[in-house]
Amino acid sequence: MRKVLIVDDSVSMRQMVSFTLREGGFEVIEAEHGEDALKKIEGVSIDLIITDLNMPVMDGITLIQNIRRLPAMKTKPILMLTTEGLATKKEQGKAAGATGWIVKPFDPEKLLSTVAKVLP
Amino acid sequence: MKIDLGQFRNTFLLESAENATSMETGLLQLRSTPDDIELLNSIFRAAHSIKGGAGSFGFTNLVRFTHTLENLLDRLRSLELNATEDLIELLLRAVDVLRTLLNADADTTLSADALALEGKIGSIASGSAEQKTDGQESVRDAESVRGLHLYRIHFYPDKDLFASGTNPLVLLRNLAEMGTVSCCHVHTDKLPGLADLDPNQCYLSWEVELGATTSEAELREVFEFVEHLAEIRIERLDRDLSPENSVSVEDRHPVPQEPAPASSLETRLPHAPKAASGKKASPAGESGSIRVAIDKVDRLIDLVGELVIAHVMAAQMVEDFEPSCLPKLREAVAAMERNTRELHERVMSVRMLPVGTLFQRYTRTVYDIGTSTGKQINLRIEGEETEIDKGMLELLADPLTHLIRNAGDHGIEAAEARQAAGKELEGLITLNAYHRAGRIVIEVSDDGAGIDTERVRAKAIERGLISPDAQVSDDQLQMLIFEPGFSTKEAISDLSGRGVGMDVVHQNIRQLNGTVSLTSERGRGTKVVIELPLTLAILEGLLVRVEERTLVIPLLSVVETVPLGEEQIERVASLGEVVVIRGESIPLLHLRRFLGLSPDTTTPTNDQGGAGGHRLAVIVEAGQKKVGLVVDELLGIQQVVVKSLERHLRKIDGLMGATILGDGCVAPIVDVAEIATLNLFSLQTRSKVPLRGTGSTPTAPRQRTGQDRGGTIHVLA
Repeated sequence: MRKVLIVDDSVSMRQMVSFTLREGGFEVIEAEHGEDALKKIEGVSIDLIITDLNMPVMDGITLIQNIRRLPAMKTKPILMLTTEGLATKKEQGKAAGATGWIVKPFDPEKLLSTVAKVLP
Repeated sequence: MKIDLGQFRNTFLLESAENATSMETGLLQLRSTPDDIELLNSIFRAAHSIKGGAGSFGFTNLVRFTHTLENLLDRLRSLELNATEDLIELLLRAVDVLRTLLNADADTTLSADALALEGKIGSIASGSAEQKTDGQESVRDAESVRGLHLYRIHFYPDKDLFASGTNPLVLLRNLAEMGTVSCCHVHTDKLPGLADLDPNQCYLSWEVELGATTSEAELREVFEFVEHLAEIRIERLDRDLSPENSVSVEDRHPVPQEPAPASSLETRLPHAPKAASGKKASPAGESGSIRVAIDKVDRLIDLVGELVIAHVMAAQMVEDFEPSCLPKLREAVAAMERNTRELHERVMSVRMLPVGTLFQRYTRTVYDIGTSTGKQINLRIEGEETEIDKGMLELLADPLTHLIRNAGDHGIEAAEARQAAGKELEGLITLNAYHRAGRIVIEVSDDGAGIDTERVRAKAIERGLISPDAQVSDDQLQMLIFEPGFSTKEAISDLSGRGVGMDVVHQNIRQLNGTVSLTSERGRGTKVVIELPLTLAILEGLLVRVEERTLVIPLLSVVETVPLGEEQIERVASLGEVVVIRGESIPLLHLRRFLGLSPDTTTPTNDQGGAGGHRLAVIVEAGQKKVGLVVDELLGIQQVVVKSLERHLRKIDGLMGATILGDGCVAPIVDVAEIATLNLFSLQTRSKVPLRGTGSTPTAPRQRTGQDRGGTIHVLA
C-alpha cells in the first residue's frame, strides 16, 4: 500500500485528510509540524507528502526545503495543503520544491484526484 | 466514491473554540507587545485553521468572514499595519463573531453588526495592498465553455523538473484523460549519450494534439504545478469552430457574494446567542467530549489488563478452592483493590483539566469591563495549572464571571478615587487556584474599595433580612450579600446588574458541593474564596449510624469525632446547644431530629439523657464554620458514589444526595456546607427540645411543630 505523510497542526484537518486518504486506499502517517514530520519519515519509505504551510515549530516551506535535501525524497511528490490565495506563498512553495497544492477547504474527491495527479 | 467528513465536525468545533480562545488571549497580550511577531503569527494561524476546516462543514459565512479577517491579520504579521488599541478591539469583536458563527448552524448568516464589522475589517485589510488572490478564480475558470476543440500542447520541461517531485508521465496521462490524443510527439534531441546521462535530469519534451471539450484554462490546470518548471504553450487548431466561443470570459468572473439585506438577517438566526452570558465562550460540542492525553489512556488500559489478570487468578482459585489457597486469594483480592483504586484515580484524572483554560477567558471579561466603565483594570492569574473536574469547570464559568464582574464593577474604584486613596491607578483583580487538603480552592480578589458594611446593613434592614436592632458582626453582614435578591448598587450597571445577585453564585457553588466565603476590608479590597471538592461523582465517606439509619458524612469535611458526655454540652444564648472542645464552642445538630426520626417512640430514654452518654459528635467544617453532628455510632470509612436524589425527590435541605451501600441499602449523604448555613439556634429553639445540661426533665411537655426551614419534620418532647 502506498504511504502518505500528512503534516498539519490542526487535528481536525489531519483527521479529515487522513480519513479521505485511507478511504482512497492509502496508508497514512500523521505529523503535527515540520520537525515532527522529519522525525517520522526517518527510515520510512514515503510515496507522497501533504503538508500545511502555517505551522508552529517548523513551517511547511522549511519542511519542504529540508525534505528535498534528503536523497531518498529528492523526487517524491510533495503537495502543499493551503488556504493561501496568495500567489506568493505558492511561489515560495514551488521554489522550495513542492510539487503542487491542495486548497483548503478541500473536497475529498478533489483531494484524491489531485493526489492522482502527482502519483505515478 | 462519496466521502463524508461529517464525523469530524465535533473535533473541528472543539478545536476552533480553542483557536478562538487562543486568538483572544493573543490579542489581549498584543496590547502590551504590539509587534511580537511570534504572537502575531500564532493569532494568524488560529484564524487560518478555523477557515481551513470551516469550508468542509458548509460554514460558508464563517469561511468568508475568516478570510477577510485573515487578510487583516496577514498585514499585521507582516508589520504593514500596527496593532493599535482600536484595531485590537475590532479584532476582539471579530473573535466574538467567530464564536457566534461556530455556535450556530452552518448556514447562519451574519448579523447586521457582524456584516458591518466584516466590511470594516475588509476595508482596513485592503487599505494599501491589492488583493492578490488567484486561488478562487482558477477554480471558477473550470466552469467553462463546452464544445469540442482541437488543441496542440507544447510541453518543454526544464532539466530539473524531477527535483519538484513531478513525474511528466503523470502529467501526460492526466492530459490524455481530458480528451482524445490524436498525436503525441516526443523530442529526444536533447537526450545525451548514456555516459553523460544524469538520471535526475529530464531531457525529453513533448507535443501533444488533443481533441477535447475542455477549455484552455482547464488544460493549463494539468500543468498548474509545473508552470515555473516548463515551457507550456497551448494552441487552438480549430479557431471559430464552435458557437459557444462567444461566451465572454468576463461573464464567468466570480461574483462577490451579495450580503443578504439586513432586515432578513435576525430572523434567520436560529439561536440568537445570549450576549452577556458566560456561555458565549463554550462552543457547541464542548461539553460532549474530552480530549485526553494518550499516555493517560494507555495507563488505563494497563490497569484494566492487570485487573483482568487478578480476576482470572481469583476466579481460578475459587473454582478449585482449598483452604491452603486462602493467602493467595487474599493477595488477589488485595491486588484487585489496589488496581480498582488506581483505576478510579486515573479515570477521574481523565476528567481533570487545568483551570487555566477557564481563567484565560476572564482576561477578556476584565478587558470589557475596563472599556465599558473607563476603569483601568488588570487581571492577574495564578495557579492556572491546578486541575479540576471538567464538569465542574463548566459550572464554574458563570459564578466566576459574576464574581469578576462584581469585582470590576463594584469593587475597583475609578482612577480618580484610587488616586485620592493613594493607590496604584490601575486596579488589580486576582484569580488564583490551588489544592488544599483534598479540595480545590479558587480565590477571586480585588484591591478595590471593599464592602461598605454600613450600606449592607441599611440594605439588609430595608429588605427585611435583619431586624433594625440586630447585633450583627461585620463578617455576618458581608455574608449577607449572598442572600437572594440582595444588591447594594443602586444603579444597575450594564455589566453585573440585571437583578441577579451574589445569591446565584452561592447557589451555583453549593450545587457543586462547595462553599463560598468572603472577606473584605474597607479601602483594601475584597476576597471571595470558593472551596470545591475534587470531583462530583465519588467521595470518601464516613458511615455513621443514627437510630437504625446509616448516613454518609463526606470525610473531607470531618475534623474529628468526640464522645459526647453530658458535661461537655452547654447552652449558649446565641448558638443554642454547643459542645466545648479545647475552649471552642461548637454548635450541635442532632441528626435524629434533623432527619425526623422520632426518638420518643423508638428509644425514648436515649433522648432524655439515659443512654445518651455513649453517643458521638462528628465535628464537621464548612467554610469557616464548625458544626457537631450527633450520631449513635461510627460504622467506618468507605468510598461512595454520589447519586442525585432530585430526579426522584424534591431537594432536601441538608442532604446532597444518596449512595448505595455494599449491602444494597440506600444511605443519604449529608451536605455539610448546607448544614453549616442552617440556623441551628432556631432549629433548636423552635423545636423546644429540652436540652441536656440545663436541668430539663423527662416530663417536659410534648409539642409538635410543622416543617421549618431546617427540614425538621417531626419534633419531639
